[in-house]
Formats: sequence, structure tokens, C-alpha cells
Amino acid sequence: MRSLSSLCRSSWLSRTRREAPHSILFSKTLCTDNSDGVQSSRIKIFDRHFRRKQLDRAAWLMRSKDSFVDTVAENLLDRLEDCKKTFPTALCLGGSLEAVRRLLRGRGAIERLIMMSTSHDMVKLCRDAEHGIQSENIETSFMVGDEEFLPVKESSLDLVISCLGLHWTNDLPGAMIQSRLALKPDGLFLAAILGGETLKELRIACTVAQMEREGGISPRISPLAQVRDAGNLLTRAGFSLPGVDVDEFVVRYPSALDLVEHLRAMGETNALLQRNTILKRETALATAAIYDSMFAAEDGTIPATFQVIYMTGWRDHPSQQRAKRRGSATVSFQDIHKQFGSES
Amino acid sequence: MVRGSIKLLKDAGSGLSKTLSEILVCPLSKQPLRFCEETNSLVSDSIGVSFPIKDGIPCLVPTDGKALDLEADNTIKPEDAVTSSVEHEADRGGSH
Repeated sequence: MRSLSSLCRSSWLSRTRREAPHSILFSKTLCTDNSDGVQSSRIKIFDRHFRRKQLDRAAWLMRSKDSFVDTVAENLLDRLEDCKKTFPTALCLGGSLEAVRRLLRGRGAIERLIMMSTSHDMVKLCRDAEHGIQSENIETSFMVGDEEFLPVKESSLDLVISCLGLHWTNDLPGAMIQSRLALKPDGLFLAAILGGETLKELRIACTVAQMEREGGISPRISPLAQVRDAGNLLTRAGFSLPGVDVDEFVVRYPSALDLVEHLRAMGETNALLQRNTILKRETALATAAIYDSMFAAEDGTIPATFQVIYMTGWRDHPSQQRAKRRGSATVSFQDIHKQFGSES
Repeated sequence: MVRGSIKLLKDAGSGLSKTLSEILVCPLSKQPLRFCEETNSLVSDSIGVSFPIKDGIPCLVPTDGKALDLEADNTIKPEDAVTSSVEHEADRGGSH
């Protein structure tokens, strides 16, 4: 978040230098949140309305099988197999709905699945794809909803799963708290979000190209959560037994344009509130050229890093293991060490 | 329009799946929703907002909701209700 604000500030500075009286007005027009004063008390980073449109577009652009998304979804669902518990009622949030549904294959013994996305087209796409996967006995229902305003009754779900969607929420702790409240006691929250290392090459290339061609920079890539934040987020949202782990994928593309194409198909393109709505052709080409010259491999392909943070948390339940009260131990660690620690 | 349908969401023939009608609540106030047959929408009485059902998919994004024109029988203005519930939500969601 700090990096975003510094980015914004520098773009402002660069603008004020050239067109002093209009600069503030101009940046105001980039914000679309002045229409509703309802949420003004919160920090808004992302344009949720625009994000919705992007998901609508992504629903049309989406490839039938996206190996990156499929790997993440597969990895996330794999965690269900580690639990002895079954999850009769599950809610699948945001992001890559279709991949989660397709790859579920009866894991977690889900009986009732609710698919939710902010994009109507995305939900419809999933519903149409449903006919292909009728073999499983999962009663699937669909709704359009916002992760920040989860329309789900308290203590009604056994599982909340979110694959690559929550990094677009303005209020991630809030969204997670709402998910926790929607869970039954001992319910599981599983989420995959993109982490701060994601697209670092593109971040660098964009910055260099913009500096070179436009003499200033504007935020092109969202601020993303760091790994250390993820654990704090889980604890802050009140989940017990929090678990965080990280995967880094390097995807190779023929050129930077293919990378952007892929991002578009995933609905992961810039949806920052303060985004610059104008992208000059020259700057775009310069970005691609810089990307190529700085990072290209010998075979001419360019790498793009995706860092995925997986978060696991449970809603409190008396049956869960927990640390004992401080000072309640009856055996000293030294004795334990004497007994067992001789070989190490 | 509002008074016409008294049925609660649970026992309504709303075309929504049983699972959905059991768990759905108003996204802002988290209060139960009521199915309105005339307008084919879900109504949140606590804040006076109706959410449309498009192609059998309920749209519960707050910006999709339409504030109901409450005339005599309800004294709360929809705007006030939305604001207060958002603030309530913000309180629940922890301070920033």
C-alpha cells in the first residue's frame, strides 16, 4: 500500500510540473468513486465496478483450459484431501470459478455448492458449463455477489473457497471476516491470492518505459499482499489454526503482448481507481521492448513471475487443538531433551 | 408493490434453489430477504432495497439494488438505512 501511494505521488508530481492548474482536477476525473459518498470512509484502491466489467469481458475471452489457473485451482483443491472432515455446503468465491468447478472431482465430499462472482456473465458461463459435469451429485446454485458484502447467512457454510479473487478487494480483512462469520464452527476458509512478487518483471518494464517516454509514472500494477501480511490477515480476521504457503510460478510467453493477452483473459488487468486511462501506443511498445531486452531468455521467450499465496484458516471450535495456558507445563523442556534429544 | 407479497423467501416458489433461499441474506444488513413475485426480485425490508433476479441468478451486489419507493408504511428513508448499515458493517469489519 505504501508503494502505491508513493507511485501516485510521483505521478502527480510529474503532472504538476507540466500542467499545474489542471493536475488535481485531472486526477479527480480518474476516480470513479465520487458518485456514491456511502463508502468514502474506507480506503478505496480498486475500482470494483470496473473489475466487474473486466470479469465480464474475461468470461468471453477465457480459454477453456488455462494451465496457470488450473494449476492454482488444483493445488488449492488438493488441500481438501488433507482434511478428514467433509464439507457438505460450500461457497466458491470470485476469480476462477470455472476452473474450481471443473477440477473439484468430488473432493471434500461437497453436496451443495454455491458459486458466486461479481460478474453476471462469469456466473452464467459457469452455469452453462455445468451441463458438461453432471456426473457428480453436487447440487450447484449460482448467484452474483460482492466479496466485500457477502450476502450469506451467519454460520451456514462448511467451506469457503476463493481462487485468485480476493486480491482485488479493497477491504480484504473485512471480506475475510465476513467469510469467517458465514462459516459454521469448524468450517474451513481456503483462498489463493496473488502475492507481491507477481509480475515484478512487468512492473519494472512499465516503470522504465513510462519514465523514458512520458517523464513520469502512474500505477500500472496493483499493490499486492506480501507473504508476511497473509498470516497477519488470517489472524486478524479471527481464523484459528492459520496456515500460509507460497508457490511461485514462472510462465513463459513469446512476447509481452501475449502476457497482457493472458492477463486480460484471466480478468487480471489494471483495475486501480487511480489508473491512467490513457496508454500511448509508443509507451506500450517501449514496455514490450524493455521487457524483452531486460528479461528475455536465450530462446526468445519472456518469463513472468506469478506468486500465489495460499491461505488456510478455520473458524473457532472447541475441538481444535490450541496452546495451553502459559506456565501450565508440568515437565521441563530440559528433561524432555535428556530423554529424547540425545541423538540429535 | 411491497405489501402485495407477504411470503417469506423460505416458502416462496421463487425458482431459486433451496440451498440459496436458505442461506441468502441482505448483503448490507445481513437480514433475511423476501421474494417478490411481481417484480421477480429479492427484497430486503430492513433497508428497503430490492435486488433483481436475472436469468434465475440473484444479483446481490449492493450497487445492483434499487431503493424501494416506500411511501406511507415505512418511515426510514432508504439512503439513511444504507448508510447506517454500511457503517455498521464497517464497525463489524474492524477498524482501518
